[in-house]
Amino acid sequence: MVELKNVSVTYESTGVEALSDVSLKVEDGEFAFVIGRSGAGKSTLIKLLLKEIDANKGEVYVNGYDLIKMRKRKIPEFRRTIGVVFQDYRLIDTMTVYENIAFVLRVIDAPKKQIRKRVPYVMSLVGLQDKADCYPSELSGGEQQRCALARALVNDPALLIADEPTGNVDPELAYELVELLQGINACGTTILMVTHAHEMVRHFGGRIINISEGEVVFDEVIGGAEIEAE
Amino acid sequence: MKLSSFRYLVRQGFDNVWKNRVMAFASFCVLLVSLLLVGISILFYININSIIGGIEDQNEAVIYMMDNATPERVAEVGDTLRLMDNVSEVIFVSRDQALTDLQNNTKEPELFQSLSDDNPLPDSYRIKVKDISKMEQTISSAEKIPDVLYARSPDTFVKLLLEIRRIVTIVAIAIIIALLIVSTVIISNTTRASVFSRRREISIMQSVGATKSFIRFPFFIEGMINGFLAGAFAMLLTWFSYKSLVELLSKFDGLSSIGFGNVIPYSRIALPVALSYVIAGSLIGAFGSVLSTRVHLKYRAANM
Repeated sequence: MVELKNVSVTYESTGVEALSDVSLKVEDGEFAFVIGRSGAGKSTLIKLLLKEIDANKGEVYVNGYDLIKMRKRKIPEFRRTIGVVFQDYRLIDTMTVYENIAFVLRVIDAPKKQIRKRVPYVMSLVGLQDKADCYPSELSGGEQQRCALARALVNDPALLIADEPTGNVDPELAYELVELLQGINACGTTILMVTHAHEMVRHFGGRIINISEGEVVFDEVIGGAEIEAE
Repeated sequence: MKLSSFRYLVRQGFDNVWKNRVMAFASFCVLLVSLLLVGISILFYININSIIGGIEDQNEAVIYMMDNATPERVAEVGDTLRLMDNVSEVIFVSRDQALTDLQNNTKEPELFQSLSDDNPLPDSYRIKVKDISKMEQTISSAEKIPDVLYARSPDTFVKLLLEIRRIVTIVAIAIIIALLIVSTVIISNTTRASVFSRRREISIMQSVGATKSFIRFPFFIEGMINGFLAGAFAMLLTWFSYKSLVELLSKFDGLSSIGFGNVIPYSRIALPVALSYVIAGSLIGAFGSVLSTRVHLKYRAANM
């Protein structure tokens, strides 16, 4: 569960107010798109939810953690409850696909047996079972994105945050990726997907949170193209 | 941390040396040069000290006995001298021996021939001291022993040696400290550059929930491997150059008369040199690396 209560974030270095009195709640098991133009505050929202920055005002709760009162040493433990897919994939270049995905489990001291079982499973889930020994530089953009998704999923997180996951892949693959995320959501994982692709959002429908100039200007559930067609 | 995680992180450390070989090589070279500069300076200082010490050891003071001292008293004075703290060696020179030596050391021994029947030279003791800087006190104490006529020491030369040793010590310590500071700055910059070049990797680790110690441990191992290799290489280079230099110096006979015979043979210092290089290299490498990672993580936390 994600909950923000009257949250404001101002960057001290520039004085820019990136989020202004934002309140929103995403329940467990929900799938929500976060849309908005560049500079609207979407990235700030993600940084806030990952505890990379702190709010100047308000309350932030993620997966049962109070991020405002959280001590620094608790941050790693908190981040292990979240899976993140970044637009630039953020894969470790010196590790293979398998190692990149397994790394998350190594971080939590997972038993070897669990690593050997879980990593091939998520690799097959995203269709990368044949690329285990490839390095990120040997993969296409779509494959790298799927590798990043597998890494985000391997720890079976309660919340998956996807930051522009379709930004660097072709439209066909983008739709496939969202369908994959919907499948994961159907298994109970809460998904928050930040995107620019308004056309795609309209196609899939669901809960849409629109941020503009640091404020939530729209937060409703809309019917997708498939629903409208019916 | 589980044993399997520990093994994984150690393996990561080893793997990372190869995966980041360009920066690892840069750190290795900087560490090697720094270790060599400091190591060679210390060896140079130790040898200069040994050479001066050798020259000091050759200095003797002479204690002259009174003419009327009985043989028993002369022997007693010898025992008293042997018991003195700063005296390392006592050699008795009888008046007859002194005359013979005098005759042997002169170009015209016949001049002293007439003295054989009425030898004016006294019995004496040649003593060597442990600490040349305490020579004056030792001489003064010796002169207070009953039946000692007087004592003589090479004052001017002793003072010159002490001054040379003092200057060499100050200059050597200054050079070693300067080199240590320069080396620390260079090593710190290189390891920081190495960590900075992997800031993306570190940020990814943090974003998936890795603890600071989990991130730092492979860097610790990497630094230690680099440092160990640099130490081992520095040891080999020092061994080779030191031995070559000692062999070269031994070819010049004249040098041993001015103290170069006291250059410490490498076999005597091989173990301490090897251990110092390897331990210093490993520690500087490991902690330099961890410190840079720590600074980077702090800086990142402050600027997020």
